[in-house]
Amino acid sequence: MTEPTTEVLIDARNVSKVYPNGTQALTGVSLQVRRGEVVCIVGPSGSGKSTLLRTLNAMESITSGEVWMDGISVHAPKTDLNKIRTHAGMVFQQFNLFPHKTALENVMLAPMQVLKHTAEAARINAEKLLAKVGLIDKAENRPAQLSGGQQQRVAIARALAMQPRVMLFDEPTSALDPEKVGEVLEVMKQLALEGMTMVVVTHEMGFARAVANRVVFMDGGELVYQDTPEAFFSNAQHERLRSFLGQVLPH
Amino acid sequence: MRPANPSWRLLSVAIVLLIGAGLYWATLKVNYQWRWERVPQYLLITGGADVVAPFDGTVAVSGKQIQITPLLGGEAQPIADVEVVQVSDGEIVFAGNTVGKKAGVTPGPLLLGLWVTLQISAWSLVFALLLGLIAGLGRVAHNPAARDLAAVYVELIRGTPLLVQMFIVYFFLGTVLNLSGFVAGVTALSVFTGAYVAEIIRAGIESVPKGQMEAARSLGLSHWQAMHHVVLPQALRRSLPPLAGQSINLIKDSSLVSIMALTDLTKAGREVVSSTFSPFEVWFTVALMYLLLTGALSVFVRRLEKKMAHD
Repeated sequence: MTEPTTEVLIDARNVSKVYPNGTQALTGVSLQVRRGEVVCIVGPSGSGKSTLLRTLNAMESITSGEVWMDGISVHAPKTDLNKIRTHAGMVFQQFNLFPHKTALENVMLAPMQVLKHTAEAARINAEKLLAKVGLIDKAENRPAQLSGGQQQRVAIARALAMQPRVMLFDEPTSALDPEKVGEVLEVMKQLALEGMTMVVVTHEMGFARAVANRVVFMDGGELVYQDTPEAFFSNAQHERLRSFLGQVLPH
Repeated sequence: MRPANPSWRLLSVAIVLLIGAGLYWATLKVNYQWRWERVPQYLLITGGADVVAPFDGTVAVSGKQIQITPLLGGEAQPIADVEVVQVSDGEIVFAGNTVGKKAGVTPGPLLLGLWVTLQISAWSLVFALLLGLIAGLGRVAHNPAARDLAAVYVELIRGTPLLVQMFIVYFFLGTVLNLSGFVAGVTALSVFTGAYVAEIIRAGIESVPKGQMEAARSLGLSHWQAMHHVVLPQALRRSLPPLAGQSINLIKDSSLVSIMALTDLTKAGREVVSSTFSPFEVWFTVALMYLLLTGALSVFVRRLEKKMAHD
């Protein structure tokens, strides 16, 4: 595994979010992600981990605080959100592939429309990425003809096609049949090995332990505890973390 | 599912036949004289259409060529070639007088009416889809002004009868802007149908899962790029069946343009009825001609749906 640099790529400072109905989703969360680092966010459902992830590329607005990405304040009114989002690839729980397009077209769309690449250049790059996730033979298939694991790998290729500086994963394996989880985690592990900066909201403790540089525990909209995987899983002094790990880890 | 007993099919045929027989029996009760033989001549004129004098003048006949020298003075003008000459050399005719009959088969008033109905429906459909797409996008827009305008349009149009809208367009707008009957008809039908198309498109857009827009935006596409490349293609496919139904409604609604100075299929039917006194035969014929149009459209849309399902 490549060591992360000391350069901070994402800097969330004291981020809070209150929904219009008064629900407090995030309370004063601060999180730094260094270039090349893999950060896993874990926690019970409703703890705000997906919300935090989605504030990093402004898919979710914030009530107070700041998020900086590569020296740009993501939530500042004058920031070009479309541009910020090209720097952060996002992978969703439900894959969200475009069902009317083939796997190849799914990967080609954004480079052509946003980066104005030619169809030829976009195709060459898309084929390279589909080969990388092991799906070049499915290039002409529509999402409906692919398994969940294959769809999620295409979704990863689609996000990578924008050559993002960071990849944001929102529970990428939660909607998969158990036997399909491994193939997606394998692709993610490969990305991590290549030095991609990654923020992963996950329930896969094994992945967090094996791949992450740092594991973050969230509960009740707060960032409760963060540490290296070794420290995180072995000496959990924190009471809420201990009870969470007691529930999710095999005894 | 078990295959249904074929005798149900027989029953439905029997019921239809029974209703038909009942209708026929009812016409016997009112002493109606069926004269189906009168109808074909209003579809196709085989004896040749009448050629009439365009102005008052003196006729000069040479073979099958008729020339008319205007009474008001001026050059002698040739009239269209005729097959049967019905005037003699030197005769004086007035504008509108029949001077001869054309050769061959020409469309009768009912077919001409069908053609007008087809043209009105086709133009209206194009504009209704365009208008409906714009208003449908307005209904789901972030901009409150666009949303409000689209909502007002839809509510206003859906809340008033088409016939009243036709009167307003023809007598008010038509007078103010000096619109022809055709333009007024197409305007009224497009605006009316557009409101329904807008609602169909809005429902189609809302039926596309939110994750599609999210995924597109997360890749850096703008709202409109995402709409154009991701949401709308899926929404339009889902909207196709209700849009087909609305297009069929449009063809049928076009019969109301007969209140304007336009001889569409319905107006032609009314004219033919008044000259034949055979209302039953004529209206059945007219209904069948509408069915041909709407049936052809149904078949076309079903083919299109199948093709899109395979893509």
